[in-house]
Amino acid sequence: MSVTRIETWQSPATRPASVGQSIPRKEDGRLLKGQGQFADDVWMHRMGHVHFVRSPYAHAEIVDVDVSKALAVEGVYATLTGEEVRQLTDRYTQIAPEPGGRAKDFAMAVGKVRYQGEPVAAVLAESRELARDAAALVEVEYARLPHVLEAVQAADDESPRIHTEMGSNVGWHGVYDFGDVDWALERADHVVRIPRLHFHRFSSTPLECNAAVVHWDPGTGTIQIDSNNQMPQFAALFMAPALGVRSDQLMFRSQDIGGAFGLKLTSYTYLTALALLSRKAGRPAKWTEYRHEHLIGSCHGNERTFLDIEVPVMADGEILGFKANALDDVGAFMRYEPLGGVIFSQVLPGCYRFKHLQVDYKSVVTNKTPVGPNRGYSRLQHLWLVERIVDLVAAELRFDPVELRKRNYVRPEEFPYTTPNGCVYDSGNYHAMLDRALELVDAPRWRAAQQAAEGTGKRIGIGIGSTLDSGTSNFGQARIINKNLPFSGNGEAAICKIDLQGEISVALGTVPQGQSHETTTAQVVADVLGVTPGEVLVRPGADSARNAYVAFSGTYASQFAVTGIGAALGAAERVKADLLTVAAAVLESTPDELLLVGGTVSVEGDEDRALTFAEIANYVYANQGALPPEVADAVTLNHRHVYRAPFGVPDWKSKSGSLTLTYASQIHVCVVEIDEETGQTRILDYSAVDECGTPINPQVVEGQVHGAAAHGIAAALQETLDYDEDGQLLNGTFWDYHVVSCPDTPMFKTDNLPCPSPFTPTGSKGMGEGGGAPLHAVCSALQDALRDTGAVVTDSHNPTERVWRLLNGDERAADGGRGITVTSR
Amino acid sequence: MSDSAHPIEVVVNGERHESVVLGRQLLVHYLRETLGLKGTHIGCDSGNCGACTVIVDGKAVKSCMQLAAQADGREIETVESLSEPLGPPDRLQASFTRHHALQCGYCTPGMLMSATALLREQEAPGEDEIRRGLKGNICRCTGYVNIVRAVQDVAGTLPENYDGHTA
Amino acid sequence: MLLPELEYTRPETVEEAVAALAAERNARVLAGGQTLLNALKLRIVHPDVLVDVSRLEELRQVAEEPDGTLRLGAALTYDELAGNALVRQRHPITAAMTSRIVDRQVRARGTLGGNVCLGDPTSNFPPLLVALDARLVARGPAGTREIAAEEFYLAPYMTALEPGELLTEVLLPPLADGEGVGYESLQVGIDSWALARACALVRVEPGSGEGSATIAAARVALGCGPVPVRQPAMEAALIGGLATRAAIAAAAKLAGEAFDPPADVHATAQYRTAMARVMARRAVISAVTTKEA
Repeated sequence: MSVTRIETWQSPATRPASVGQSIPRKEDGRLLKGQGQFADDVWMHRMGHVHFVRSPYAHAEIVDVDVSKALAVEGVYATLTGEEVRQLTDRYTQIAPEPGGRAKDFAMAVGKVRYQGEPVAAVLAESRELARDAAALVEVEYARLPHVLEAVQAADDESPRIHTEMGSNVGWHGVYDFGDVDWALERADHVVRIPRLHFHRFSSTPLECNAAVVHWDPGTGTIQIDSNNQMPQFAALFMAPALGVRSDQLMFRSQDIGGAFGLKLTSYTYLTALALLSRKAGRPAKWTEYRHEHLIGSCHGNERTFLDIEVPVMADGEILGFKANALDDVGAFMRYEPLGGVIFSQVLPGCYRFKHLQVDYKSVVTNKTPVGPNRGYSRLQHLWLVERIVDLVAAELRFDPVELRKRNYVRPEEFPYTTPNGCVYDSGNYHAMLDRALELVDAPRWRAAQQAAEGTGKRIGIGIGSTLDSGTSNFGQARIINKNLPFSGNGEAAICKIDLQGEISVALGTVPQGQSHETTTAQVVADVLGVTPGEVLVRPGADSARNAYVAFSGTYASQFAVTGIGAALGAAERVKADLLTVAAAVLESTPDELLLVGGTVSVEGDEDRALTFAEIANYVYANQGALPPEVADAVTLNHRHVYRAPFGVPDWKSKSGSLTLTYASQIHVCVVEIDEETGQTRILDYSAVDECGTPINPQVVEGQVHGAAAHGIAAALQETLDYDEDGQLLNGTFWDYHVVSCPDTPMFKTDNLPCPSPFTPTGSKGMGEGGGAPLHAVCSALQDALRDTGAVVTDSHNPTERVWRLLNGDERAADGGRGITVTSR
Repeated sequence: MSDSAHPIEVVVNGERHESVVLGRQLLVHYLRETLGLKGTHIGCDSGNCGACTVIVDGKAVKSCMQLAAQADGREIETVESLSEPLGPPDRLQASFTRHHALQCGYCTPGMLMSATALLREQEAPGEDEIRRGLKGNICRCTGYVNIVRAVQDVAGTLPENYDGHTA
Repeated sequence: MLLPELEYTRPETVEEAVAALAAERNARVLAGGQTLLNALKLRIVHPDVLVDVSRLEELRQVAEEPDGTLRLGAALTYDELAGNALVRQRHPITAAMTSRIVDRQVRARGTLGGNVCLGDPTSNFPPLLVALDARLVARGPAGTREIAAEEFYLAPYMTALEPGELLTEVLLPPLADGEGVGYESLQVGIDSWALARACALVRVEPGSGEGSATIAAARVALGCGPVPVRQPAMEAALIGGLATRAAIAAAAKLAGEAFDPPADVHATAQYRTAMARVMARRAVISAVTTKEA
């Protein structure tokens, strides 16, 4: 195992003034007045509108595509077929090594379709109506192929092959093995065996669908992409080689993005098709996804099946670890996968001191919509497994779930805590958080209510979800799934600038989608420069031409508070150094004698000797002759800074190392009431206690906590993406995909118990994704409500009917849960 | 089969417009594309999400579930009417900021229009009435908590001990 | 999402509307459009002409007949219906149910007639109209006729309306002394997609002592199957029996007759049937209790 190197951050500043305050958001003004600019708001002269023709089948050969009738319609500018895409582009680079990396992945279906909704052809026309009408005239002949929709079945060698090049449907396979789980299983007082658990498919469905206007300018070769893609440089890494263009030809731009949650990361396939259509027609190509297309044709969250789980437990409640087989259903293409196959290991033992861990992980392709990173990506699936294990151990061996957790949580004095696979949990206090979460709902009151409810036809259950939100990934972890990937560390870039008349501005590499970066950045920069956040203009949105970036710039994986803020802080520090250099020269002082207050640099103790930022800017921009040459040559008031997270390269052989820098934690407590007759579940009370280091803006942090909590509750009770036997998605609209509405969600009771991170510039940790704590808390509460029935919650999705079946002892709902066994020594 | 064309006369945000619309044109597209009022958003296409909510003759409606031709003779208010483009926010908008009731801002215009209609119709709606009143507006960022609080604040029905948190 | 090409027309009178519907083979009535426009966007219906009746004043009236029958105009919106003083007074459960349909935006546009004529198995009104023995007034080229709600629904999205016919009114008979109505639904979340609905109209005769009241008449209808269906066996078991929870529960075990619900992504048929029984029982109990209250 590699030794994890720890660099602690040396804070340059004393406790700042704006950071830590819940100041109102800078973004709000325009968004509240309907003045935001979202991707569908972008209109260009001469632009055409695109409609995609999509596969009605889960798996079929494309025998013929005939676009002639569509092309004959007046007002249709161009069409594009999969075969043309094959001729015009190279297949996308795959993150996966062999065999998954052998899959041929293009912007549209080539040769065959692999999921219902896969784009087969596209039409560009003068209006959206016409594009859609003409698309209906595209004739596609299919020859159906047998399909496979379930990961365990798909992994079987006898199953239909989705990508013949791969040799099987298993795109990646790896075994994570730490400690000695077999030894632990032999030595344990009890071994709990759980045959099967299933984490379902769902999506956080941002309210704004994917949209873009792509213009391939024939004169300059610039491919202007106005879109809501949430990770443009990542998209460029795939698009540039596929299109055979320079990466700096791809000019991304966005202002406001209507939510993304990770799901707008893989839209590069559509952007590629739009680029081709634009080049073909010599016009900008606009596409705004319909909700139905978003549900069938963008991406879903990962579905995962866990088999043959074995848990060694000591008589005193010490859980030694666990062993499990995980089959991740990635849908029809690998694309972002098998990154999920390593990202889960950032939180391998969850919040616990487990020492012996073995996970056999397979990424399996199926004839379903491809997956993409969905809020809590790959960690929430794994953390759900860990929390189910803890709850089921408690239930089977009659431990109190609170005490069992406390017995096994990493202890406050153990931080920074190194996990068996070399990850370092920076700080935390799970014990205190659990106590606080129970206190917020007044748990004893609910225990009494639970007793009182017996025999009334209602059942009350109290559940706990303890999760981690690992943030600031070490991209070196990609080497664990593909040792040839030349990635490691993590960084983010920002530009801080003082303009002609002393105005401060910041441009970020991040691409926010509601995470309040304009506000929190202004707070941090204002503190460095001694001004108010109102005086710091943070440029909204992304712009390849204007903003600084690194390859993995973007807003994802709970990292902004570390990487984005680190970059802005560094850039502001450099600007500050310039201000001091100029002021020292002009005021005949030294930088260490100077103070920055209220947009002025003055000599400490002699405030009359002062220069405003405007005056300093004038020296730099317009009055250089008045500065000593060595000063004039040294200062720019315009700095790009790259924050570098302190990472090394993880060891791909042992699959271990420091994979993420920070570990925010969430302890949620949920109280449910089940109506016995119907299985209908109501949330009676809910508390969410979070820890994410030093909050920059507590109100913003709390808002993220609310959002993540609602997503988890929604998934646990209402939202699921299911297919019928024919491979047709059954939840293709918001009529069938039951997004939670305002009356469906509780008033969350929240608190935050900060444990500043020793590893980050401000003591903050990335947060926002959450670890899916509500999924665990709801399942755990249901389990508690069902405690005397013998029913086991084995699925992450529990709509009324499943709860009803669990209550009625139905085997179909139990899904193997009844096969839980305990062997005691 | 063909599209029919219809002359319509509507008052939008106090301004009279005479237009000719196609039979199949939806009100939301008329507002966004013909009039350029892009504050009204589209989130689901199926009348579930409420991002396209506007007020027609005093009632909050989903503009993706109404033909532009059906709006003939009606008075329409969109989010752009709530306050001057360069002026201060109205009470509800200010409350949304104070309570951090928006994140990505995509659902916000529809949410504001629904809440505006609700507050005009009901004197002092409490939490349950507000939750029911906003049922037709989906927000995927906030978990609704702060939206309910922001509307309660304007309605004067915030809990007495409310300290800015939900605990 | 976009609509297909279509012609829109807004007649000034009911006669003109009927003429427009009769003139064009493939014409469809547009009222609030809260479902029809979705169906058009999804291209699952293909009318050439939409005849907008939403502004016809004749279809927007509430009137009471001398015998107490309420004549409800088909183009009344849910909001108008729920807020109407006569409806609230004479049929409080109907008003209350209407005030909770979908959401406020839909209630501002959606109409009684639209709900009734669409024939969507999950709609709110069909089981209520069957339980309350409502009559539907249709006007067509051949004149006006009344159809009993029980005979109106033929199959999902198929009603007894002939091509060219327009639903103009819904006639709700008055509630007699001792009659109470109960309406119960099981829905996804707090009140999203409906899985099972039941509506009961029950007449209770007071007995001489506590728990001795009996049920003198009962009409129970289930919703969320292909069409709303009466429950004769359950009704027969209720009638003459005690109006107690136990007796009602025993009768409700017979609910589910001819219900034949679909199995889909929302629920299995087995669950829907079981839930229909629960809703039927609760609806009768609620009808009895609202009467007592």
